[in-house]
Amino acid sequence: MSTNPSRPELKWNRYDVIVAALVALLAVAVALWFYLPKVRSGETTVVISAGGQETERVRLSDFSGTTVTCNGYTLQIDADGDGVWVSHSDCPTQDCVHTGHITRAGQSIVCLPAQIIIHLEGAANDGPDVIVG
Amino acid sequence: MKRWICLLLAAVLALSLTACGAPKTEALDIFAMDTYMSLVAVGDGAFDVLQRSSNEINTLEQKLSRTIATSDVAQLNANGSTVLDEGTAELLRRALRYSEETGGAFDVTIAPLVELWGITTDHPRVPAREEIDALLPLVGTEHVHAAGTEASLDEGCAIDLGGIAKGYASDCVAALFAASGITGGFASLGGNVYVHGDTADGQPWKVAIQDPQKTDAFACTLHLSDAFVVTSGGYQRNFTGPDGTVYQHIIDPATGYPAVSDLLSVSVITYGAADGQGTRADAYSTALYVMGEEAAVDFWRARQASFDMVLVTEDGRVLYTPGLKDCFDETEGSGYVYQPLAA
Amino acid sequence: MTGMKWTTKNLALCAVLTALALGLSTLENLFPVSLVVPLPGVKLGLTNIVTVFALYELGAVPALVILFARCGLGSLFAGNVSALLFSMLGGLCAMLVMIGLKHCRKLSIYGVSIGGAAAHNIGQMAAAIITLGNTMVLGYLPFLLAVSLLTGTLTGFVAALLFRAMAHVTLSH
Repeated sequence: MSTNPSRPELKWNRYDVIVAALVALLAVAVALWFYLPKVRSGETTVVISAGGQETERVRLSDFSGTTVTCNGYTLQIDADGDGVWVSHSDCPTQDCVHTGHITRAGQSIVCLPAQIIIHLEGAANDGPDVIVG
Repeated sequence: MKRWICLLLAAVLALSLTACGAPKTEALDIFAMDTYMSLVAVGDGAFDVLQRSSNEINTLEQKLSRTIATSDVAQLNANGSTVLDEGTAELLRRALRYSEETGGAFDVTIAPLVELWGITTDHPRVPAREEIDALLPLVGTEHVHAAGTEASLDEGCAIDLGGIAKGYASDCVAALFAASGITGGFASLGGNVYVHGDTADGQPWKVAIQDPQKTDAFACTLHLSDAFVVTSGGYQRNFTGPDGTVYQHIIDPATGYPAVSDLLSVSVITYGAADGQGTRADAYSTALYVMGEEAAVDFWRARQASFDMVLVTEDGRVLYTPGLKDCFDETEGSGYVYQPLAA
Repeated sequence: MTGMKWTTKNLALCAVLTALALGLSTLENLFPVSLVVPLPGVKLGLTNIVTVFALYELGAVPALVILFARCGLGSLFAGNVSALLFSMLGGLCAMLVMIGLKHCRKLSIYGVSIGGAAAHNIGQMAAAIITLGNTMVLGYLPFLLAVSLLTGTLTGFVAALLFRAMAHVTLSH
């Protein structure tokens, strides 16, 4: 063990560059994946979040409804391919049920007691950025 | 070797470019102040400013909520007097000023009646005439005595800053947005919207005013930057009494009953991130709704230039002030008749 | 490499290297990555110099021992547990990747260091995701990886200097 056999090569070589390139590639890949707009090919997407956490993200055309429970309340969410609505809720205010159908990107149904938000997202739409009222 | 290093540096450079290319849009949804809030920011430090805005809103709620026992407002109501936080004291002073300015159409001392009707609770009820009459004398700014940070109330009186708390919160968010490096953003705090700068595409924000009659439609769309839009309307929250009458949530301080207005909704638009324009728009929108069309238009005429408004009337008209002329889009096929107001 | 004996000398060597790593981690506090990447707890990873060195000179087991000692003592000094998670996950990821890359005989010290530095930052990112419970922070990973190319090269350079200086010295027996 006079000259330690495990001592490494001390000069740069092309294999090191491969490692560096792989790291750079990974960085670019993560950047692209993260910063490129999420697949939004003009399709309206249903986004459901409960208690501040996104629980579901489905294309409106593929969405057939679901049941979401949060904060002790359960909402029955229905859909028919064109729109989404809350058909039944055991929350005290029933605002979510009264909101009725939402059909266009940018619209949302909010249930305050259950802290559930059903939001329609879409790509390049001419709709408003924010709705007041 | 040198060649490789150059390549490496080029890769790093390219990488940092990809990451900086498009301004990043961040969004945050929160439930606070008894409503749903949505915050969006575009540009440098977007995530950070949203976090700080969210914290600020939660802090304000702790001070201003009538239903949080430890809040400044609850303490004042429970004890009849208290020392307020500097910010709460300032907000109370402004609330009293707006009460005077609007001839009592907006009034924070409405709290005992709000309580009686159970407006903010899950179980509202229709009280008896006698109950209402008994409480009406308690309403009026003369019952509030504020000096510096000390405030006291006459026996039996209570205040509710709920009518301007969200406006005040939007002012605070506006200040945070203005002090940050973001190029644009908006805060939508349950009927109170503040739009800052431009959208990610460099355009003014498109703010749609909800159609009070159809949940699926808009009365009109406004293109705005650095402006507050606050909408009040009976359609926002209401309940049906045992006899089928629909009672809405804004109580008329003069009658003690939910306001009966010839307006379906009032939107007040104010400009500039400074000097409490959000709070002002919030107080005005409630007051103008209670006043009704004629008094609201008179109120606006008396202070033209200083704010804009959009009124949706019961008989299907949408009235808007001339200041909005260049940023106002009608909604085609809405069925409303659009009329600009004469200055 | 396979069988370092735990002689007094080697034990002392480990202690010296641990102290060195702690010194380096204090040094890297002077260059807060958080200025670029606003995540508390993220470090440059200069301590990887010690890991690289120990890995080659003493072997995997002592290098791991040094790593654990450094992370434990470091968080004790800093007085917070989340720092332990960051340095531990970062350090362990770097270590595992470097043990793997070391078997790739064609790689020089630079390749191994860069791989280690990248793994270090990926580990820290994992720690950030765990502590913040939010995958939004992944957006910072590209920056961290870019930084790791530089720190990895730097670490490799310093380690190469060390090995050169010690070309005729054998530390462990």
